[in-house]
Amino acid sequence: MHFITGKHIPRRSFIQGMGAMVGLPMLDAMVPAGRRTGAETQPTRFVAIEEVHGVPGCNKWGASQHLFAPEQVGRDFELKPDNVLASLAEYQDYLTIVSNTDVRMAEAFSPEEIGGDHFRSSAVFLTQSHPKQTQGSDLHVGVSMDQIHAQRFGQETVLPSLQLCIEPTDKGGGCDYNYSCSYTDSISWASADTPLPQVRNPRTVFDMLFGAGGSEAERIARRRSHRSILDWVQGEVAHVKRDLGATDRRRVDRYLDSVREIERRIQLVEAQNTSGEERELPEAPAGVPDSFSEHMKLMFDLQVLAFESDTTRVVSFKTGRDASNRTFPESGSDSGFHPASHHGDREDRIMEFNKISQYRVSMLAHFMERLENTMDGDSSLLDQTVVMWGSPMGDANLHNHRRCPLIFLGRGNGAFQGGMHYKAPDGTPMSNVFVSLMQKLGHTDVTSFGDSTGEFLL
Amino acid sequence: MKTIVATAVAGTALLFAMQGPAQFGTDADLGSPETTAMSVPAAHVSSVDVAAMDDVVDQYCVRCHSERRMTGNLSLEDFAVTEAVQQAEVAERVIRKLRADMMPPPGANRPAGDTLVALVETLERTIDEAAASEPRPGERPFQRLNRAEYERAVEDLFGIKIDAGQWLPLDQISASFDNVADVQGFSATLMDAYLNAASEIARQVIGNPDATPVETTYQNEPYESQHAWDRVEGAPYGTRGGISVLHSFPADGKYVVSLGFISGWGERFDDIDISVDGERVALLRYQGASTRLIDFQGRLAYPVSTDSVFVRAGQRRLTAAFIRKQDGPYEDLIRPNDWSLTGTEASYGTTSLPHIMQMTVEGPFDASGVSETDARRGVFSCRPTSAAEARPCAEQIITRLATEAYRRPLEQRDVDGLLYFYDEGAADGGFERGVRSAIEAMLVSPHFVFRFERTPAGVRPGEVFEIADLDLASRLSYFLWGTGPDERLRQVAAEGDLNDPETLERETRRMLEDPRSEALATRFASLWLRLQDLEKVKPDAFWFPNYNAQVARDMRRETELFFHDLVRGDGSLLELLHADYTFLNERLANHYGIEGVVGDDFQRVAYPDDRRQGILGHGSMLVQTSYGNRTSPVLRGKWVMEVLLGTPPPPPPPNVPTLDESTGDEAPAGLVTTADRLRMHRANPTCNSCHQLIDPIGMALDNFDVTGQWRTRENGLPLDTEGEFYDGTEISNPASLAAVLEQRPIPFVRHFTQNLMTYALGRRVDHLDQPAVRAIAQEAAEHDYRMSSFILGVVQSDQFRLKRALATDVDND
Repeated sequence: MHFITGKHIPRRSFIQGMGAMVGLPMLDAMVPAGRRTGAETQPTRFVAIEEVHGVPGCNKWGASQHLFAPEQVGRDFELKPDNVLASLAEYQDYLTIVSNTDVRMAEAFSPEEIGGDHFRSSAVFLTQSHPKQTQGSDLHVGVSMDQIHAQRFGQETVLPSLQLCIEPTDKGGGCDYNYSCSYTDSISWASADTPLPQVRNPRTVFDMLFGAGGSEAERIARRRSHRSILDWVQGEVAHVKRDLGATDRRRVDRYLDSVREIERRIQLVEAQNTSGEERELPEAPAGVPDSFSEHMKLMFDLQVLAFESDTTRVVSFKTGRDASNRTFPESGSDSGFHPASHHGDREDRIMEFNKISQYRVSMLAHFMERLENTMDGDSSLLDQTVVMWGSPMGDANLHNHRRCPLIFLGRGNGAFQGGMHYKAPDGTPMSNVFVSLMQKLGHTDVTSFGDSTGEFLL
Repeated sequence: MKTIVATAVAGTALLFAMQGPAQFGTDADLGSPETTAMSVPAAHVSSVDVAAMDDVVDQYCVRCHSERRMTGNLSLEDFAVTEAVQQAEVAERVIRKLRADMMPPPGANRPAGDTLVALVETLERTIDEAAASEPRPGERPFQRLNRAEYERAVEDLFGIKIDAGQWLPLDQISASFDNVADVQGFSATLMDAYLNAASEIARQVIGNPDATPVETTYQNEPYESQHAWDRVEGAPYGTRGGISVLHSFPADGKYVVSLGFISGWGERFDDIDISVDGERVALLRYQGASTRLIDFQGRLAYPVSTDSVFVRAGQRRLTAAFIRKQDGPYEDLIRPNDWSLTGTEASYGTTSLPHIMQMTVEGPFDASGVSETDARRGVFSCRPTSAAEARPCAEQIITRLATEAYRRPLEQRDVDGLLYFYDEGAADGGFERGVRSAIEAMLVSPHFVFRFERTPAGVRPGEVFEIADLDLASRLSYFLWGTGPDERLRQVAAEGDLNDPETLERETRRMLEDPRSEALATRFASLWLRLQDLEKVKPDAFWFPNYNAQVARDMRRETELFFHDLVRGDGSLLELLHADYTFLNERLANHYGIEGVVGDDFQRVAYPDDRRQGILGHGSMLVQTSYGNRTSPVLRGKWVMEVLLGTPPPPPPPNVPTLDESTGDEAPAGLVTTADRLRMHRANPTCNSCHQLIDPIGMALDNFDVTGQWRTRENGLPLDTEGEFYDGTEISNPASLAAVLEQRPIPFVRHFTQNLMTYALGRRVDHLDQPAVRAIAQEAAEHDYRMSSFILGVVQSDQFRLKRALATDVDND
């Protein structure tokens, strides 16, 4: 079965959006035995997707043309063809737009920080906290909301959460303005000083989800040896630790945390597989595709698989890298992403940037389609999932962080009705929306987050 | 004359705009007479009145660098030359700009004579004398193997090549390098990656007689030329295009190879040679597709498969390539840029060659055991002939491998730990399985993936100590070879001699002469010169149809070979600026327009003229600093200032227009040269304050187009590359740029030293390390800037050999 594999005709057809490939019966076999029964509520899945460089509709002229926020507030809004969300019109009933919120923690707090927005913003998106300007290991920002969620509700699944990205991070020189690249590249933070790495290779993601090895017997064998290796590693580390300095000992403790986390995962998989039932897996994808759209779609397919098999319920997905000059010829524009975002307020250039943004957002339609067509119990994944998409930047031309784009897709088991456009009062922090979101996701005790000043009821 | 700098700068811009490029740079009156002679003579100033230096700072610096204006985020109001040691961080910033002769900026007032030299030398002397009184090793946590180091370690241990990117998360770059310890984080993702990598590699090494069929797909990038005369690296001669990979066959057995294509419009038939280690195993016929299966672009994913083919286990070169039909020149006049396949679409009636875009290997079917492979021969140094011999043999194998993997002699507990895994595996599946299990555990072991450095017993808090010889051996070999120490170095370290300066120098020289020192080129120089950015630039195939992935790889190789040659030949670092030779193969020589180079192998080639000089003529530098559709003198100027000189211009403020649009409507892009557009750009005083420094440097290289080819016209208009270096020297080509850089070598030489140290230490070099940087650079200057002098200087530095115990390091928790 060529499901998300990267090859031959099946993939190409698949990439071209062949809905018929969805929901193949074999996937049922992947659901681990002993999982929750149909009687329970299906779990709510949460995906946070970051866009860099804001969107053209968050500029003054772009806003007047409703390139992001529709003209109408409330239920009866219209997505005009120029709107960056136009490709999602078909899913308007699942779409909640929240316009006019600010990400002020991404702003410069001191003269040294002025201009460093591209290297700082990504760390702010899900933390809504202000990063400490440093290149060293004395990183400090805040715990990201996806991680707060995963730490509380993700422990039942093999992977509490999954971090994905699209762009490579090895740009020559590193990051500027005395910011560690961790701030530039990590949107998920397990603690204020622990950025989580993201996986870019779809094949690696697949192996993380299902284990490497060509057969179930092979996967079982590998898990077993991993288990005893992890056991032994802890003894080795305890032994070597005595000879290390204090900094290194703290480092080793962090390493041990990750060792124990993998042990937990293996135990969970083994507990779920006690029936010994053979799980049939879709074919693994090849490496990283050259094409942006193929790469995005594979990453979305993997998220659907992860949800369907209940391997994880929380995903963060970074779809770009700040200040990237990548071009997107399929968008109809041959401008680089970053140069295009500095449109200088010229209308024709804003529209040029809009082509790129529209194209990038249109990838979400594929995700919607896959979620809609994948049933879990009596409802589709689209009904059970909250996909948050947004940017910590508003008008990238100015590097400002006001009136930033934020939308929600899916209904999250009733958390969202969809088909709504909320316009926040001027000056509302995006974190206020996060407070409400977290409450909807089950964090009923959360009353503040980041720089929030209250709740923004959705 | 007391000119306020901002006014002077704006004035310059104004002059510039009014006079136009022809007059600019012809000694036009840009300020007071004092400002025109800006070159700092290299004379040594022996005795100066330190207090008078404070007046110089007050008079010439504080106007901009005041608490109120904070130009460059720097205030020198409270700065005192006598306090340079206490204010070293600020002092080092001042030193850097003064040594580069960038401050006071062009157009601003300068003190007469050698006052600035006196100032900078006083600052340096004050700081360096203070530094000499106590060692400054600096600190960093332990390093872990990054992707490149992990790949190399596996190759050294087992002789197989892997792509660590299949498993390990992306390495984070800090201060240009991927081995900086304090940004190397730990996570479950990383742990999972180490486990999965180890399982897979152990199976690839030993082979897996029980392997079940799996599919592996390889992809070609569209930039890979598959044109009629372009052979893919690794493919047999007499073929064109295709795809060639190192594939690990887990067992002897039958495998099926399938191919996916794109393009191939109007070309109906082609023969495809499938080979394993250069020997044909199948011949496939590509038959042009029926129109029904062709997509709207005339391209097709057209699958072709072999029958099942018997292949023996092991890592082997698997190639699928078209049999070459044309021997002479071949030109598809209708679609000449087909070989890059970028941004082009076939239209009706055109022809194009088919390209192999994917190759999938599936197997093994009917696995029939595991034949001998090089990797297995390397591992199994003994073979048990009886059950009683099995465990001792395993112990011998494990001891040998783990000594290399752990980079030190083993303790009994190390051997016992791995033997436990041998026993577990052997109980499951016999001797070979046991060895495989032990290798798997070894590759996850913290002793392998981490480079721990031990704090010796009895060291008091704050005390500085020599790092243990074995730890020093690892530092040395990772610095020079990018991999662990060889047996001899481990031996020297075990004897406890390595910290002896003579031994250290002898071993360093020995290692530099070893071919493995190529890692200084492929790892250090490659990251310093940012060669990884080369592949991120995709020149527009419409304008640059001759550029492709092969040429890009050749460019990278050119720079690596050039640097490696400098190291091996112990040449002068300054060759990087002015060398009249380079390393080319036929393809790259043709690309550069240099005649007389034949064959795929690189050779040393003397430039026929002075168009190209040193690194400034290397495609690797010129392409990475271009956009896909135009050159960028700004990026090139910035690269020179940042990568070579260590004095990056400040990044542009937000809300600055990009180059294209600042041309305004009256001058549509495409009808003017990049130089013209830059001039308009610089007419803006805000832009000009920095771009007057950046742009002329890049303009001097603008005779090189996006792909590094020489040109004299752009968009049909003659190029004007003339400009003024910020010190007033006229520059208009690579040679004059190289000359002006070489005239003032200190910034370049020190910045190189700083980079070399960063890479060697695995930590960012800060202001406290600058005395060491200066000392090494000075020593190198006295030895004609020989590479060995820099390298030995770093190796012998306190930073490399010593460590300081932190106050909390020796607690007893």
